[in-house]
Amino acid sequence: MVNPVLLIVIPLGGAFAIPLFGFISKHISKYVSLIVALAMAVIVGTLIPEVLNNPIVVKIGGFKPPFGINLVASPFSLFFAGIISLLGFLVSIYAIRYIKEGDIDKYHLLFLLFLAGATGVVLTGDIFNMFVFFEILCISSYALVAYNRDKDGVEAGIKYLIQGSVGSAFILIGIALLYGLCGSLNMADIASQIHSVNSPLLSLALFLFITGFGVEGAIFPLNGWLPDAHASAPSTVSAVLSGFAIEVGIYAVVRFVWTIFGALSILHFFAGLGILTLLVGELAAFRQNRIKRMLAYSSIGQIGLIVFAFGIASAAGVKGALFQIASHAMAKALLFLAAGYMIYRAGSKDISSLEGMGKRMPFTSLAFTIGAFSLVGFPPFVGFSSKFLVIKAALAEEQLIFTILIGLVLLGTIIEGSYFLKVIQTIYFKGREANPNKRIEAPICALIPMFILLILIVVIGVYPGLISNVLDSAASGFLDRIQYIKTVLVGV
Amino acid sequence: MILEVLLIVAFGGAFLTYLFGKISSRLRDVFAVLVSLALVVITCLLYNKQQQIVYFVFFDIPLILRSNMLSWFFGITIVGIGLLSVIYSLGYMGKEEELDYYYFIMILINASMIGTVFSGDFISFFIFWEIMSWSTFLLISYKGGKALSAGMKYIIMSIIGSMTMLIAIISLYVTCGTLEFSSLVSQVKIASMSYNLFLLIMFGVVFTIINAFWPLHTWLPDAHAEAVSPFSAVLSAVLVRKGLYGLYLVMYIILGLNILNKLSFGFISYNNVFCFIGAVTTVFAAFSAFLQDDSKRILAWSTVGQGGYMILGIAFTTAIGLAGGMFHVLNHCIYIALLFFVAGAVEHQTGGIRDINRLGGLIKRMPVTFIGGVVGISGLIGLPLTCGFVSKWLIYKALILENHPFLAFAAFMGTWGTILYGYKFIHNIFLGQLPKEFEDVKEVPFSMKFPIILLTIAVILIGVLPGIPLKVINIINVSAGFKALSINISGVISETGVLNTVNIFAAILAVLLVIYLFFRTGAESERVPQEDSYAAGLYIPIEKYHYTVKFYDPFSRLAKPWLKDRIDNFYGWLTRIVGKTAERLRHIYTGDLGFYLVYIVLFLAALIFVQIICRPW
Repeated sequence: MVNPVLLIVIPLGGAFAIPLFGFISKHISKYVSLIVALAMAVIVGTLIPEVLNNPIVVKIGGFKPPFGINLVASPFSLFFAGIISLLGFLVSIYAIRYIKEGDIDKYHLLFLLFLAGATGVVLTGDIFNMFVFFEILCISSYALVAYNRDKDGVEAGIKYLIQGSVGSAFILIGIALLYGLCGSLNMADIASQIHSVNSPLLSLALFLFITGFGVEGAIFPLNGWLPDAHASAPSTVSAVLSGFAIEVGIYAVVRFVWTIFGALSILHFFAGLGILTLLVGELAAFRQNRIKRMLAYSSIGQIGLIVFAFGIASAAGVKGALFQIASHAMAKALLFLAAGYMIYRAGSKDISSLEGMGKRMPFTSLAFTIGAFSLVGFPPFVGFSSKFLVIKAALAEEQLIFTILIGLVLLGTIIEGSYFLKVIQTIYFKGREANPNKRIEAPICALIPMFILLILIVVIGVYPGLISNVLDSAASGFLDRIQYIKTVLVGV
Repeated sequence: MILEVLLIVAFGGAFLTYLFGKISSRLRDVFAVLVSLALVVITCLLYNKQQQIVYFVFFDIPLILRSNMLSWFFGITIVGIGLLSVIYSLGYMGKEEELDYYYFIMILINASMIGTVFSGDFISFFIFWEIMSWSTFLLISYKGGKALSAGMKYIIMSIIGSMTMLIAIISLYVTCGTLEFSSLVSQVKIASMSYNLFLLIMFGVVFTIINAFWPLHTWLPDAHAEAVSPFSAVLSAVLVRKGLYGLYLVMYIILGLNILNKLSFGFISYNNVFCFIGAVTTVFAAFSAFLQDDSKRILAWSTVGQGGYMILGIAFTTAIGLAGGMFHVLNHCIYIALLFFVAGAVEHQTGGIRDINRLGGLIKRMPVTFIGGVVGISGLIGLPLTCGFVSKWLIYKALILENHPFLAFAAFMGTWGTILYGYKFIHNIFLGQLPKEFEDVKEVPFSMKFPIILLTIAVILIGVLPGIPLKVINIINVSAGFKALSINISGVISETGVLNTVNIFAAILAVLLVIYLFFRTGAESERVPQEDSYAAGLYIPIEKYHYTVKFYDPFSRLAKPWLKDRIDNFYGWLTRIVGKTAERLRHIYTGDLGFYLVYIVLFLAALIFVQIICRPW
């Protein structure tokens, strides 16, 4: 059996090794992050079949929970880890050629720390440990956003840093409160005694967690940092920020609200909050004329849908949310990666400068189109399957409120369709005469990850059954608090 | 088995066409025609075969293909028009750019339309429907320029429709646990009336949009006019009519007559509403068409108007009305494709001119196109011996028999409008003085002539022998629980009268013969060159010529204020409102860090406040 702790150790080790490799050769670092991410993906791949029935609990240092730190590799966590490592791998391929200015070693070092932080958050079973990994994730992403060292990037990075720090401070206060009330930092242990604690401070702690993690999770109105950060970061960073970083924030929120607090009565509040986030994001994206900014706002919209799906709180809803996370990760990463070289070739971030790209970069344009179609939810792409699941879960509740909310979701889809399809028209059908028909396709290193994502979007879209099993067990495992507590504390 | 092959050939053919195009353009053209031909052959094999197969499983939901007379009827129109428009494209598209893409999307649209009519469950239906939507969007926008906004208009309305349909479909799945058509039939019987009404309204919206019934018609004129002509033909002849297929399916197959009859509140019933929508659509569109000066826009509006007839017939729950509506679907498909081919031919040969006021006198230059145009317009108007006559006769008959004078009057008004714009179309393009610039216009190449000739023959053939398609329609109606009409090869025998088109045909031939003999005995006529036909050979200075620029001007001035497309303006206004709201909302993200921090703190404060006041947790 592979030890899940490797998922954190490998990227951390890789990150520390990069400066050492830097002594040997300048070019080694980019392959280090590639290999590390691949290794992580392979480990997740081997672990998933093992944990489908029984989650693996790793006791660090041999201390039994609730003492000491433990990792819980449940299907739910490994699903996130899988997305993190897969996207990490694909983006590192892309970065080989794309990241060539500035201090490349530092980029890859930060990138590996970023991966380590993200996997740490989803795997850990200890709230303080989660906070530490969360900080690793956030701090490395602040630095990555500002990697280009241009004015926009630095400004966005600092704004992100300040808002993120406020969030982290809230989380830390929350942890302190919770530790004071329960006397434990272990998630399962806290979860087992949370309902016997009777103190108004408990709800304060919950709200601090929601707000704190909500900043990273980009829930409206905590997401002011997101458009700037996603738009100004290098496209590889935007892809991972959008692809899994905000989802990790959402993971933390739902872990706290569902598993630790078991706060089932405020779930409808999440559904409403999700819809609000969705509509605000989509409407804000509607009038953008910068391509990456538009994609960033559309991420807010998609996050809204994910939060809404979690708010349904049935197994079907959680499954829909996870499917939506997967489909959004693939589609949005593809869009950012495609946009990255389109911007590079066009020399401008304006949507209008993409005219005639259909001829100049046919494959990249195709990738962008498929990503956009998937995000809007056109079959036979994966976005349709996820939207289908979410709508099905909402309508299965048979409550009027959910029917109305679904109506609003679809309203968001209409807006989303209109702005994405406008971009596609610009790419293919505008300025066909004006531009010289010279082909300047993106380099092969960029095409490979785009191609893989494209294939995944189509294949999973056509055969959603491929990941349906994992999602089923992840969703039911996630909803079953008692089982989680038992697994960690007693060790079934 | 055949069904699977059909689907594989259709979709595989589309992709292979694209790949072959990368090798050689000749190979691609040949292959595109072959694929379309193969689809026609395979569909013909399905005639009168009842089949049902599960071809895929999507999230534990079996996806089903089924074939019966209804789907065959719509299927054959799709593949037929698909084949002809691909052949037509060979000449029309010539050496345009991005032809690989063009043929790929063209066949993909055909494939997805075939998919929609042969699906046996709603998920397949929806999936094919959506593929159809986005590929249509990609092909409408193909020409760039004005076509872009037409494409946007289409896709936004189409997404709105799809979303309402998706809600209906998923709620059906949640409620009934199945989406297969035949098992749904028994399931919806036990559902409540209000649920059935909900279903009908949700499905009604999407099919009204795609059918372009008033007041959701606004996408159609732009899309039809701006798309390339072979595709306009496909759009108008078959794609739009997927809406009628859907309505027929939901109203008569899934819900059935019993439920429909129960869904009425006094005078207002679901069907009646559609009848009146049909009436409004017919009249409004007919008179809007005649205000247009763009040849393709005239035809586009006529598509809207003829859709009104179809729904008048189909929503009118009598056997004769239903037969008329279905028959009109077929007839419209034939003559409107013909007319779009004609308009496209003229556009192609004159260098892209669609403004009919600048054209004229092309009759001698493009005789085949002219004959196609005349026959097509005759079919559109519904002159006896053309196909449109029989279907309109059936619809009128149904309206009059059931004592609906207003609806019948609306239908007649629609026809008067049709006569007016039909004449304008023919006259301004083909008759009158030939402008100097068009003296060297030539007839279209064979690949464009062939579809025109074939469809011309079809219009007359079906007009003379309406019994052939009516036999198919009878089978469809019987399967939906209606009485069969008594028909024979040459017409319909109903309680109130017999229609025998072969007799009419013979009579008209005899009359023509008499006229011919009469004129034979008269004086020899003198021929005048066409450039000088203005005063039949008398001398009039050329600057005194009066062209037919302002056809029906007094009437247009009278009608124009009434026919302003207020609905379109309203949608435009709505879009602007959304835009403005978006613009305001965007400023939530001020870019100012202070605001963002305030948002965060306020959010936390709001949570705590709510907790203190209402204690939700």
